Amino acid sequence: MFLLPLWTAITTSFKSLQDVIYTLPIEPPRSPTIAPLIEAFSIMQKPLVNSLIFTLAATAMSCLLGSINGYVLTKIKFRGSNTMFLLFSIGIFIPYQAVLVPLVLTMSSLGLYNNILGLILVHTTYGITITTLLFRNFYGLIPDGLIMAAKIDGAGTWTIYRRIILPLSLLPFVVAAVLQFTSIWNDFLFGVVLARGSEAMPASVALANLKGTTEFNWNVQMAGAVWYALPILIIYLVLGKYLIRGYMAGAIKG
Amino acid sequence: MRLPLGRVFTREKIVTFLFVLPSLVLVGYFVYGLIGWNVVVSVSNWKPSSLIPSYSFAGFGQYATLFRDPVFLTALTNNIILVLLFVPSSLALGLFLAILLDSKVRGEGVFRSIYLLPFSLSFVITATLWAWMFNPDVGVINTLLGAVGLGFLKTGWIGDPNIALVCVVLAIVWQFSGYTMLIFSAGIKSIPESQIMAAEVDGARGFDLYRRVVIPQLKTSTLSAFVVLMVFALKVFDFIYVLTGGGPGYSTYVLPLMMFRETFSSTKFAYGAAIATLLFLLALMIVLPYLYMSTRREKD
Amino acid sequence: MDTWPELLKDKATEMASITVKNLTKKYGNTTAVKDLDLQIKDKEFFVFLGPSGCGKTTTLFAIAGLVKIDTGSIWIGDELVTSAEKGINKPPQERGIAMVFQDYAIYPHMTVFDNIAFPLIIGKVKKEEIETRVKETAKLLGISYLLDRKPRQLSGGQRQRVALGRAMVRRPKVFLMDEPLANLDAKLRVQTRTELKKLQLDLGVTTIYVTHDQVEAMTMADRIMVQKEGSVEQIGTPDELYNHPSNLFVAGFIGSPEMNFIDCTLVEEEGGLYLDGKEFRISLPPKMPSELESYIGTEVVMGIRPEDLHESEPVEGTTQENAIRTNIDLIEPVGPYLLLHLKAGQIPIVATVKDTKAKAGQEVIMEIDLNKIHIFDKKTTKAII
Repeated sequence: MFLLPLWTAITTSFKSLQDVIYTLPIEPPRSPTIAPLIEAFSIMQKPLVNSLIFTLAATAMSCLLGSINGYVLTKIKFRGSNTMFLLFSIGIFIPYQAVLVPLVLTMSSLGLYNNILGLILVHTTYGITITTLLFRNFYGLIPDGLIMAAKIDGAGTWTIYRRIILPLSLLPFVVAAVLQFTSIWNDFLFGVVLARGSEAMPASVALANLKGTTEFNWNVQMAGAVWYALPILIIYLVLGKYLIRGYMAGAIKG
Repeated sequence: MRLPLGRVFTREKIVTFLFVLPSLVLVGYFVYGLIGWNVVVSVSNWKPSSLIPSYSFAGFGQYATLFRDPVFLTALTNNIILVLLFVPSSLALGLFLAILLDSKVRGEGVFRSIYLLPFSLSFVITATLWAWMFNPDVGVINTLLGAVGLGFLKTGWIGDPNIALVCVVLAIVWQFSGYTMLIFSAGIKSIPESQIMAAEVDGARGFDLYRRVVIPQLKTSTLSAFVVLMVFALKVFDFIYVLTGGGPGYSTYVLPLMMFRETFSSTKFAYGAAIATLLFLLALMIVLPYLYMSTRREKD
Repeated sequence: MDTWPELLKDKATEMASITVKNLTKKYGNTTAVKDLDLQIKDKEFFVFLGPSGCGKTTTLFAIAGLVKIDTGSIWIGDELVTSAEKGINKPPQERGIAMVFQDYAIYPHMTVFDNIAFPLIIGKVKKEEIETRVKETAKLLGISYLLDRKPRQLSGGQRQRVALGRAMVRRPKVFLMDEPLANLDAKLRVQTRTELKKLQLDLGVTTIYVTHDQVEAMTMADRIMVQKEGSVEQIGTPDELYNHPSNLFVAGFIGSPEMNFIDCTLVEEEGGLYLDGKEFRISLPPKMPSELESYIGTEVVMGIRPEDLHESEPVEGTTQENAIRTNIDLIEPVGPYLLLHLKAGQIPIVATVKDTKAKAGQEVIMEIDLNKIHIFDKKTTKAII
């Protein structure tokens, strides 16, 4: 009942235009067809690939950096650590409108406007704020005694990271990766500001365009939405509980 | 005399610093650097539609113009209405769902997954869906209403300037209710079972029990959800852009949308920067006290 | 003068005995309580004793009405409050019981006053009466000065009293306590133990007290039920449990330091009975119960408590017939007495003595008080005291 809108989207993707007009939206199609799906896919193919590339890259990098930051913030005592953490945390909540103008200027002067690398850079950077929080919270639970024992055995800071922290990090990596993937894949703002051109257009922008251009072809629109939602749905079904953990850490969407 | 720099700048510490450096540089620049730059732009002399920025100081004229601009005032009002409608409804619905989930014994995981699904989806997707749902002519809602004989309930939905904003609120409450439910659910679960049993022995049942024992202990959860919801209500862009583009007229025009239009469509960069700075300050007013309180609480 | 503690006593003269028949509770595939029968007398201080997971808390919750049971019936007084077969399960608040939980379960968002008043507020008692009763209860427990505070400002001991107050204020017929002293530090625990017992005697309310600490059980209880893995091992007074344990488990669980258990064989020689261990031989007094007859020639377990072993002077030329030659491994001074860790060959034995001139490594002869000997069937039954 709650998921009614979603059910409607799925059924509609399989309807021919006739069906859309003549059947009730919640009914399954009378003569199912994958035409809308194919049409939507042909339009969205490149953007979907783009999204996949920069999402995976930015997810990987922001998780790695977040892990390092989390380790440093919790296990290495230095004077500015609380300030650094606070500064990063604020970064999670800011409205990104506040950086758009200079961001565009920066990206174009770096030649990264309309460029997948640019998107990777941007998403990695803003992702670090959240991943650092996640890893910090997780690493804070690792007993200091473990680290001290290693130090007594002669391990240096980075050896400790490699041999003790990293092996224990499977769970936070999964949570962070799932959270980041979802966030970045779902992003629209940075996509529409930095990559409207067809070269690097993300799937989110493509879907919005699709909606704009195929006014009443609901079935194609819905099909496009289904394609775009697919990776997220898969992740949700398989790794959903990790995503939920990520939400509970106080992280939010875009 | 040799200075004991060796103790301060050990090789370990340098290596550590180097590893954190990229993050520091990136976040420092892309967050704080750019925010600062943005403020500078907002007080600069950058002429609209010129692609070359000019940084001569031009005073706070942009801000003054803003407050005299009826479009801005409308956007601001809409944002405020959005906050006032969205935040309490979301909290209430989330609380209701969390209590519901708590009372059910079976299937909790399944229900939780169902309610959280919308939250995991992109706003573009949900906006595309709701655009069709709310369409006054051939939209899902009106069609279904007609089909079950409730045709008299049909309205213009997002075509009607009077209720378009409410429609938007409705849709985002739907999307966020899973999240608030999750936060409250976690809060409810953190109450020790023994307290619930003690309350039962003392005679509190059902709703009374929730009212007297559970809900008063949800203060931190409420606060945490509140902050997240407030900040979101201020910066919601994706959804409205795709759903209504701000219309009909300016009935769903909000500040982030305005900022986007002024900056990228009208190329009034300084003007847009001013709006953005205001947004940032508003968000800061909500977030800073919260972060301050929660890091202080952690120290206990 | 009608102070309410006296009113409480009046109420408590209502018969508040507890009868449990045939109680079984399963959690999935695990049986927490198996076919339990129990009779608790009015005004009795009754203890459920046993290790973790033995079912004592489950039994308590069943009597409280907080869990559904699979089979069995429970009466409080004359009233049938639970019956699995007839589908009766009276809600907890209607059973006339009050409960104190291990973690106190006091509401952190309410003041002490509101916490204690809570059951009365739910019961829609009049405001003036609530005030009187709460204040009286607080006075009785010595926490009147805390009434305006919130739980987080209180120490563990104070919180425990608040939990007690909340239980008492309703003038229940029965107190149910789930390891209420477990979270207190050792000194406070001993102090509160005495206070609790005095309180119960004063108020005369039937009390069920759950604990895993046998010292608590022994000092406080009128009668104790020892449970293990869902079954009843023995029910009796502390004296009965200590001096006449009905099986190995109870004998080993009660008493500290633990009773010594030594494997040996019961043999008959020259008209007398002997316990033959590898390193020793104990002759049993002539008038032994006839049940022993059937065990002649079999292996049994001899039990003797550390305090029933005495150092004796070796008499030249004779081997004593109720003593064991042992070697001292370690002497631990424990304040009022000495703990001797001995070895008879490979068999470890522990004895408590007031004093000894012997030193570690020396040999010493320990005499067994034959009146206090216990013999157990190797399959956990017992033969004589």
